[in-house]
Amino acid sequence: MAASFKAGDFFEASESGAADHELRRKLENASGRHLEHLARTKAEFSPYEDERAESRRIKEDAIGHLDELIVELTRKLEERGCRVFAASTAAEARDYIVGLARKSGAKRIVKGKSMTTEEIGLNPALEAAGMEVIETDLGEYIVQLRREPPSHIITPAIHLSKEDIGRLFHEKLGMTYTAEPERLTAEARARLREAFLGADIGITGVNFAVAETGTLVVVENEGNGRMSSTMPDIFVAVMGIEKVIPRLSDLSHFLEVLGRTATGQKLTTYTNLISGPRREDELDGPREVHVVMLDNGRSAMLADPVMREALYCIRCGACLNVCPVYRHIGGHAYRSPYPGPIGSIVSPNLVGESTSMLPFASTLCGACKEICPVKIDIPRLLLHLRWKESSGANGPRWPRGAAGARAGGRRFARLARYPWVVRMLGRAGAMMLRPFARDGWIRKMPPPFGNWTRLRDFPLPRPKAAPKPREDS
Amino acid sequence: MTMADLEAIVARVKSALASAPGATNHRAHPAPPDDAVIGDRRAELASRFARELEAVGGRAIGPVAPAEVGPRLVSIVRERGVKSVAAGAGVECDLPALAANLEAEGVAVYRSAPVSTESRAEVRARVAKADAGLAEADYAIASTGTLVVLSEPARPSSLTLLPPVSIVVLQVGRIRPDLAAALAETGPQALQHRMTLITGPSRTADIEKRIVMGVHGPKSLDVILVWPDE
Repeated sequence: MAASFKAGDFFEASESGAADHELRRKLENASGRHLEHLARTKAEFSPYEDERAESRRIKEDAIGHLDELIVELTRKLEERGCRVFAASTAAEARDYIVGLARKSGAKRIVKGKSMTTEEIGLNPALEAAGMEVIETDLGEYIVQLRREPPSHIITPAIHLSKEDIGRLFHEKLGMTYTAEPERLTAEARARLREAFLGADIGITGVNFAVAETGTLVVVENEGNGRMSSTMPDIFVAVMGIEKVIPRLSDLSHFLEVLGRTATGQKLTTYTNLISGPRREDELDGPREVHVVMLDNGRSAMLADPVMREALYCIRCGACLNVCPVYRHIGGHAYRSPYPGPIGSIVSPNLVGESTSMLPFASTLCGACKEICPVKIDIPRLLLHLRWKESSGANGPRWPRGAAGARAGGRRFARLARYPWVVRMLGRAGAMMLRPFARDGWIRKMPPPFGNWTRLRDFPLPRPKAAPKPREDS
Repeated sequence: MTMADLEAIVARVKSALASAPGATNHRAHPAPPDDAVIGDRRAELASRFARELEAVGGRAIGPVAPAEVGPRLVSIVRERGVKSVAAGAGVECDLPALAANLEAEGVAVYRSAPVSTESRAEVRARVAKADAGLAEADYAIASTGTLVVLSEPARPSSLTLLPPVSIVVLQVGRIRPDLAAALAETGPQALQHRMTLITGPSRTADIEKRIVMGVHGPKSLDVILVWPDE
């Protein structure tokens, strides 16, 4: 299957997301429940703020020594018997994994949830090479059956209701229709259990990689990451270079905050610490462990002193759940495996040009910064990217628009020297708009202001009191 | 891997860091907790562990005396309707002997042992077919209700993953107050090829954020806490 992200018009996609009332109901439902869980576990855990500060500090330290840590991690992984492949680009990472699968004669590949493999477009490449690729995280399994990409980094099928999934399983798996999550889950368990036991290769992402010990840490709830990394003979871990942390003792701080912010759990059900392949007489574990360390734009982010902060992200997904824009338009509108506030920052660097509009898709309300477990100042980074995008080395992106805005600004500045002219023009404008208004609101404005009223109403300017907010808004 | 690839990335990272230097601050390891202190707190840690385990959908049984473990095991197996059990070696406790007692109850027992390449698939299939897996935890974490399980040839990870019923024996002296203390205990050196932290039965919230147990791993997790004879 080929659930990949196609470049497209973000604004068009976000409009259709916003217009989908059913989608918004589902998003509100799921993200609201997430926030409830979150508040509860945080309230119970008083050192949360300390752990958060410590996690932030360790990330600053780790990213500040990334060069040494990558070398140390590679050495330790190789000492443990892992094979490390350093990939500068998405294509290099993809080619390595496809080559490995071909060489080993693999037919069936099971995957744990990994946004990094979405980033490099791994599934379509493996399928093009004739391999069967099965996503095993329940949410990913569901979106794969629908042949669409995930819409949330923690809850990939957040845009679907249990009824949607019931119909999907009925159509694709021939199961009798039911909307009971228990029965749907049991069906997926039976099918995926078979897949795990017969797979040739398992692929997962990596949450943390401990340089000191050469340990890969995979955090999950379902057990599919554990299955993917123990059952098949070959295990491939795909990680961005920013996932490295210095010491094993650093891990506890991150795990304390990650479970709480990602899913409202004190600790996720399974935390897998993998340090190398199985021993000769051991039942479980892969014969070969391959670690793909991916740059693909990360070193460029590191070189920008403002953007560097984005590399601290531990991909908990909390900023998506609190974001008013994400909750309004859903994950698919972002056209990137990394949606939401953090996605708007990393996508232009990791996914590319097609996502360069994303930093503009924010109200800068700051809810993301508030909830971030490593305190990333997301609004600041968004502004930085907007600034880069509109005054970058290649010149402004919309030269005519920018020139027009500047000229308009200059004209207004001249005009504003005569306050009575401004007042008079304001009154004249309000008078001219009056025929278009109903109950104090204008639903459709004449050009060139039509873009404003395409999505929202405009209040009729009045000399004194502003109109009362409408009940439905 | 060709070293050139790694060097290329490291060189890029180095020059990126040089353009905007970061914080410098590598710290020392935290000291592992004092065993004497843990000894005094066993009762408190055991009750906290039990509470947290139940909060994540597991079940805590005991603490019981070592001689009581066998009878408790029999009652769990009856209650869950288990017809077959797969067991490996224990940490402190003699799991094979406990498993042998179950045979008298009419339960088929499969003893997992170190495998050869030829027998791996077969052994795995038998563990996967068992109704229950019996294992002993290396450590536990009181503040989160977590079991810490190291894998070894005689104690495969599958036992706590493949069967739908998971039964784990835990010595109360092996409970540590929190995650940091447990990691300090296993330490960088003691880290085996695989260490798994298990917090409750396997679960998902992927359908409308509703929690469902037993998606890929066990549906139930029973932990028998053992208080040593003194």
